[in-house]
Amino acid sequence: MWKTFDLDKPYIERKYHDPDEPFNAYRRRAYHGWTCDEATGEDDEEIRAGLEALEPEIASLPHPVAKARAIDYVLKHTRIAVSEHDYFPCFYSWNCLPNRITFKKWKAEVFDEKLPEIGELMHDMNESGACAIWPDFDHVVPDWGSLVTLGFPGIRERARQYRAKREAAQPLTDEQRAYFDGIEEEYTAVIDFVDRLYRYASEQTHEKAKLLAPSLKRLRDGAPETIFDAMQLMYLYFMISESVDFYQVRSLGNGLDHTLRPFYERDLANGTFTRDEIREFLTYFMMQWQAIGNYWGQPLYLGGTNADGNCRICDLSHDIIDMRHEAGMYNPKIQIKLNDNIPQDFLKKVLSYIRGGDSSFVFCCEPGHRRAIMAYGATAEEAQDFDLRGCYETGVRANEVSTGTGYVNPLKAVLYAMRDGWDAAYGKQIGVHTGAPETLDTYEKFRGAVLAQIAHLADLTFRCADAYDPYLSYINPSSLYSATIATSLERAYDGYQGGVKFNNSSILICGIASAVDAMMAVRELVYEEKALTIAQFNEILDANYEGHELLRRRILCSPHKYGVGDPLADACAKEIADFFSSYVQKRKNVRGGVYKATMHSAMQFVRQGKKTGASPDGRLAGQEISKNADPTVGMDLGGVTALVHSVLQLTPSDYHESFCVDLMLHPSAIQGEDGLNAMKSILDVYLHGGGMSVQFNVFDASTLRDAQAHPERYRNLQVRVCGWNVLWNNLSREEQDAYIKRASAV
Amino acid sequence: MTGRVFSVKRFAVHDGDGVRTTVFLKGCPLRCKWCHNPEGLEGTPQLALYAQKCISCGLCAAACPNGAQSISPRGVDRERCEACGKCAAVCPEKALELFGEEMDTDALLPKLLEDRDFYEESGGGVTLSGGECLLQADFCAELLKKLKASGVRTAVDTCGCVPWRSFEKVLPYTDVFLYDVKAIDEQTHIRCTGRSNKLILENLQKLRTCGAQVEVRIPYVPDFTDREIPAIGAFLQKLGGIRAVRVLPYHNYAGSKYEALGMENTLPDRLPTSEEIAAAEQMMRDHGLTVIPS
Repeated sequence: MWKTFDLDKPYIERKYHDPDEPFNAYRRRAYHGWTCDEATGEDDEEIRAGLEALEPEIASLPHPVAKARAIDYVLKHTRIAVSEHDYFPCFYSWNCLPNRITFKKWKAEVFDEKLPEIGELMHDMNESGACAIWPDFDHVVPDWGSLVTLGFPGIRERARQYRAKREAAQPLTDEQRAYFDGIEEEYTAVIDFVDRLYRYASEQTHEKAKLLAPSLKRLRDGAPETIFDAMQLMYLYFMISESVDFYQVRSLGNGLDHTLRPFYERDLANGTFTRDEIREFLTYFMMQWQAIGNYWGQPLYLGGTNADGNCRICDLSHDIIDMRHEAGMYNPKIQIKLNDNIPQDFLKKVLSYIRGGDSSFVFCCEPGHRRAIMAYGATAEEAQDFDLRGCYETGVRANEVSTGTGYVNPLKAVLYAMRDGWDAAYGKQIGVHTGAPETLDTYEKFRGAVLAQIAHLADLTFRCADAYDPYLSYINPSSLYSATIATSLERAYDGYQGGVKFNNSSILICGIASAVDAMMAVRELVYEEKALTIAQFNEILDANYEGHELLRRRILCSPHKYGVGDPLADACAKEIADFFSSYVQKRKNVRGGVYKATMHSAMQFVRQGKKTGASPDGRLAGQEISKNADPTVGMDLGGVTALVHSVLQLTPSDYHESFCVDLMLHPSAIQGEDGLNAMKSILDVYLHGGGMSVQFNVFDASTLRDAQAHPERYRNLQVRVCGWNVLWNNLSREEQDAYIKRASAV
Repeated sequence: MTGRVFSVKRFAVHDGDGVRTTVFLKGCPLRCKWCHNPEGLEGTPQLALYAQKCISCGLCAAACPNGAQSISPRGVDRERCEACGKCAAVCPEKALELFGEEMDTDALLPKLLEDRDFYEESGGGVTLSGGECLLQADFCAELLKKLKASGVRTAVDTCGCVPWRSFEKVLPYTDVFLYDVKAIDEQTHIRCTGRSNKLILENLQKLRTCGAQVEVRIPYVPDFTDREIPAIGAFLQKLGGIRAVRVLPYHNYAGSKYEALGMENTLPDRLPTSEEIAAAEQMMRDHGLTVIPS
């Protein structure tokens, strides 16, 4: 029964998607893979009909209970599969079907009926591209420690005990009763579902079912006993939470190696499984997320530091990255907690994987993250054991919720400063009045206007988030998550609504480099050379630089860009970065927490770019804006060391939620042992310079092909071959072809 | 003191230990057929035109004081061009580039210290290269002295074909020499580089005698230096005391630079295979030498 993965991989890849169906990165869950045994349940349409019939029954119930009933309905009726090709069962309906009668209905109630003005404001902010904002239920990590220690029944039992204790002291309020009832019903639904899977698996005769069925029985009755059980529990929790309950699960384990290690060591010591067998389970386990294939990627993190100062990287950490690498997976994506204590063999292995083209690793510097977390009141112990809750988001493990609010677009702020708050692309006054163009007669005034516009966009975000925040658990009660958090149970309060110790909100700045480059261009052309007035510049932008191509190219070639070590541009970036983080981090949210600044962009650099007209940095209308703490694409001409210096002077850990920079390298620049050491030295400088998160992009042949087709986007790409280097764009077509061919063989 | 510099490269990973900044200096006494830095051969400034980047905007023609530019992408009149760089300064696409800027050691030093944190983390430093940097030995000595005074580790990348007194000037401030050995047979050396190797091999022996740290670099160029590998191994073994040897596989990516500079492209056609490089490295090891893999 072992060593079957290569045979099974093609089947698992079809588990949640039919490759013949259209691919839609944003609606992955709307599709199905395996048809599953029709005798096991209903298809989506039948379930939807059943939910509609259920709706009147639950309409008057408190939301946690109503949601639990809807989830129970789906879990009782969805088709399931236990395949001979997989150790993990399949959910046929994984598109959060209960939402139709719960989340969507309650959300519309809040935004259409209770907060219509806020709904309208949010619409304007989203549509104009000034700030992307929506209530966020995505950046959540349960207390995996509780889950793997107690199992589903143990979590339910613990909640009962907290309830009994509270009831013994005083009668429960309606809200508290709904809270505990919601947990009771949802966990009962989960346990019933595990029982259903167990009974179905018991009927199957293949080898994998023989291993799976008893594991499911153990999970139905109690806590995981083996590493296989623990992985099974994590997968089931993930699928129910993300695909039925509508709460994302933004890390597998609180450190997958840390959470699974006790099972790993016990199973090896007892001879329950061999290391090879565990490695095989790990491969199937991680493969589930490759099959799910959500475009945002499934993170898990490895490493970290114990209270005794030792690094948590262990044999299991190696097994996790090795098996993922051997199976050629791009998902899950892996964060590595980085500190001086990280074993060098592990670090170099990760770097060599990255160099080979696997760019899905992120390094998260422990000192920077701890400093960020302690800045809003966490203890040293809490900061030591921080969680990563998404791409780069961080916070206190098992006791912090930080909801994303808005992605503020500072390039819009520059454009608003040039037009007294008017959004020319959207045709509406979105910004604040900061003065007509002719009144901004000094750069200082212009700079002040930009900062005022940024503050205004942050204020609008606060206004929206503060209005809808009291309704988060009304819209989407988090019983499944809350029951894993001891503080939430103690307070008898939804974990997502204020039931954890740190009830924070995050606010993002997206496109800082574009904004800085634009400000530098205005400074140079309007205030120094006096070649243009702001009004004239606006006309050129309205024309999308048509008839002004030379001016645009001149702007693109100006040395005053963020990310190249230019003192002017870097000082401007520092001012904006400091202004934003200090402005937003003074602010308290309405859930008893604070706002945390974030410098990363997710996909907003593309989406907001589409809604942003031509800008003074030479960017044409609709083109993407810069992402993360990165330079504008094609503008990082100073090389990686200059970029690292530009980034570090922004004081990354002043961004208490997250801060990330992408570093682009060509494989030829980091060849051989020297190259690995050079990559490591970049990490060392970043780590010791106060960095937060960093990821490498090592160009491969396909990128080079793109560079050949779009040379204007790769002006900084250097081809480094041993003792010399040339700019990619300076190579002839034939030489580029030769290089692409060579890169293909890497 | 000023020197004529044609490039400053940061994050240089293969020019000595650790992460380095490499300063490339103009002028070289050799004319190696495979030279990948043709912009470093002449001691005087040179203008390069990357024709495929030219958008025919005409700004260069307007800026040229000698009428040496036209609006054609192929339009540098090399007879009239004095390589003043005024056209390159206004080119919006960086299709024109001037190689050879007079730089003062005081102006250069802060730039070279910018990546000091990288040097410290990686055991790196600054490398002077070229062209042949020791053709500007006084400048090198002053720059290296200032770097050493700033606590930066230094390397000199040299072809060795300069008077010994040039080495004497930089010796006190150089931590390691990256020393090219292309051939032991004099006639082969002349065929490959246009010059005898007598001075080069003498200087290498002198460097060893005075205890300098030396890493030898052997460009592996099929049909040119490949047959010299056994003799180089034997020579270095006999010489003794070489810190390490690196075999540099020849690549032909510099062709566009020859064209951009209006120079005759002398690059050989045949590239070495990885097996040839591995065999050459093994031969060096067989001679008791420490090899840094390519």
